[in-house]
Amino acid sequence: MGTPGLRLLSGSTLILLLLVAALALGLRCFRLDQRPMHCDEAVKAVKFGEFWDDGGYRYDPSEHHGPSLYYATLAAMRLAGRRDIEHLTEAQLRLITVGFGLGLILLLPLVADGLGRSGTVWAAALTALSPAMVFYSRYYIHEMLLVFFTFLALAAGWRYWRSGKLGWALLAGAGVGLMDATKETFVLSLAAAALALAANWAWGRWADASRPPEQAARIPIKHMAAGLAVWLGVALLLFSSFFSNAAGPLDSLRTYLPWLHRAEGASPHIHSWGFYWHRLLWFHHAKGPVWSEGLILVLGVLGAYAGFARRGLGGANASFVRFLALYTFALAAAYTAIAYKTPWCLLGFWHGMILLAGVGSAGLIRRTRTRPLRMAVRLLILAGAAQLGWQAWQAAVTYAADPRNPYVYAQTSPDLLNLVQRVEALAKVSPQDGKLVVKVMAPDSDYWPLPWYLRNLERVGYYAEVPADPYASIMIVSSQFKAALDEKKTHVMVGYFQLRPQVFLELYVELGLWKEYLESSKHERPGS
Amino acid sequence: MIRLVAARLCALVYRTMTNVMKVTFNVRGFPRALLLLAGAGTILLLPQASRAAEPAKDAPAASAQGLVPLDIKLPAPAFKGTPKDIQVGPNVEPVSDKPRPLMMVPPGLKNIATGSKITCSDKNATAENLAKLTDGDKEASDQSIIFIHKGLQWVQLDFGSPQQIYAVVIWHAHNSAKVYHDVVVQVADDPDFIENVRTIFNNDADNASGLGVGTDREYFETYEGKLINAKGVKARYIRFYSKGSTESALNEYTELEVYGRPAK
Repeated sequence: MGTPGLRLLSGSTLILLLLVAALALGLRCFRLDQRPMHCDEAVKAVKFGEFWDDGGYRYDPSEHHGPSLYYATLAAMRLAGRRDIEHLTEAQLRLITVGFGLGLILLLPLVADGLGRSGTVWAAALTALSPAMVFYSRYYIHEMLLVFFTFLALAAGWRYWRSGKLGWALLAGAGVGLMDATKETFVLSLAAAALALAANWAWGRWADASRPPEQAARIPIKHMAAGLAVWLGVALLLFSSFFSNAAGPLDSLRTYLPWLHRAEGASPHIHSWGFYWHRLLWFHHAKGPVWSEGLILVLGVLGAYAGFARRGLGGANASFVRFLALYTFALAAAYTAIAYKTPWCLLGFWHGMILLAGVGSAGLIRRTRTRPLRMAVRLLILAGAAQLGWQAWQAAVTYAADPRNPYVYAQTSPDLLNLVQRVEALAKVSPQDGKLVVKVMAPDSDYWPLPWYLRNLERVGYYAEVPADPYASIMIVSSQFKAALDEKKTHVMVGYFQLRPQVFLELYVELGLWKEYLESSKHERPGS
Repeated sequence: MIRLVAARLCALVYRTMTNVMKVTFNVRGFPRALLLLAGAGTILLLPQASRAAEPAKDAPAASAQGLVPLDIKLPAPAFKGTPKDIQVGPNVEPVSDKPRPLMMVPPGLKNIATGSKITCSDKNATAENLAKLTDGDKEASDQSIIFIHKGLQWVQLDFGSPQQIYAVVIWHAHNSAKVYHDVVVQVADDPDFIENVRTIFNNDADNASGLGVGTDREYFETYEGKLINAKGVKARYIRFYSKGSTESALNEYTELEVYGRPAK
């Protein structure tokens, strides 16, 4: 059993895939540093900086997810010959997740005999152009890595199913190990895959009477054991920080307690069941454009139908398509049901939907009877995909930090960069230069991403309250404190800056420094 | 040395697995390549055995009196999870929970903005739009707001004759919490603002707009509007400047009110 080798894709198809990959890269890389760092991105960037400077990483079971993002960044920085975090830019960090987002397209040849040749190309195009995929490929967070490793595990598992070769089992194990080392929610993907496998087997045995059920390959126990060993080995290696943190592997299990609490409701991210679907299918803020990836859903449902009804499959494998459908719907149901929601969590099940949409597109074209009509359908789908690409551009560039973008969530306002520029300009004028003292005060440590942006200043203190002695050359204070630190006339409050919508910071500057700044050069308010 | 050992270990593991399992990879070397890549990746990720000791930081130079700067240890930032996403809506709670104190003025004042001639630095602003500024509608709705081009822009009122101005109230757009920058209010005796220009409010702290360094504070836009004490200044013309907000580079106005009486 099994198809030896990957012979399904012709040279021209591979070239087409590469062209699609090039398009995907362009969409994902353009103006990568335009959007201000999200709080989460900045936390991860600073954690990586500590890892880079101190040479050690310790997994934190209470927050901030797994080690894979940091080790992936480390590898990239070493390959690029970077020496320190001070000169690292947001674009360089985000290239890590761009790479993994691109990897979703480059992995598609592994499942070409599952999706069919045309289905693979359409899946590649939709992955390249999906606004959600593009937007979150440009986010330095764990999510895109999780989607990539999940697809790697599924694709390797499919190759093992087809060939029975141990190498694929090992790769699948490695994929699962990397999922484990990325984000705690990987258990949902594993559970959905297991459920889909069981349901698919049951369907093939009892519900699908159109042909004799496929004989399940006998999976040697030693292959399963080897795959499991690789999973555990990879997870152990990364959670233990290459055997330097003995508590890490145990912490990777302990982490589920706080996450379960969050899933049950102990979190500011509790949303209704429609949260993801509202963003994916019809999102329209007043005075903003209409956003919808409904085309992918429609084509995905068609693809799922093709798998169950065995119609319009072409070169796609019915069992694989059914598994994909069951996996996608199970995962979507799980995320929909869990009260804790952040928009990037939709990537896992939406990627499955995109793969199904590839099958659906090919099937729709194939089932059209006449050649002119077939061409018309092909052009219509292409036009729909192009419209998705236009939405992706809007999401990634025009509305990158705008709440009218469905994928923007607790995003840092561009106005914060004005604050950063002002502080940098003040530091240049100060006789202490980068050594002047800056104090940042915000309740609940709500001052991120400032620690990332102010990383080149040596003497910055961060406080979750107004300290007993709040005064410094520069003070950045949450407006919630109503601190009025200019009452003594030693400092001047030079303006409000928006951290996020409805969250503001006040900038206080020591009077002498402010006078020097005013006299030093002609200037405009940054960002005008 | 460590990396060399690790590379040899990876190769040994690979050879052992293939020999023991007695299988070959017949998939055009794809998983083989990936295993080698994983080995290389492992080498890349190994912590460095030793780091070159960082050069000692220069000791701070002593002053002539033998003093050095006090080195205060400052707290590092505390890591934080994803903040709450606040949806921006039309109803903004007042920033202060205390009511605005009453301003005491001479009796018989009227809103002289109504009926004044309105002009604007943005030549694309139509008369119909500008008329919204004195129509009495102060609601935080899109229909009540006018948009003016980004950058430093002004709106000017001509009262027709000199007036004694006691109070000015400005409503920019207050449909969400925001702060407008470089809000400057000036009065003058001529429409070009050359003769006898006086500033009655200026929060342009860095003089980015070139109208002088302001000493007034920036403020949050609320449904109450910004009340400015004009102290009975006499003028025929009044001009309102702004230069975008924390939310957008555009300038937005909802309503302007000027309380005064004809100058004696």
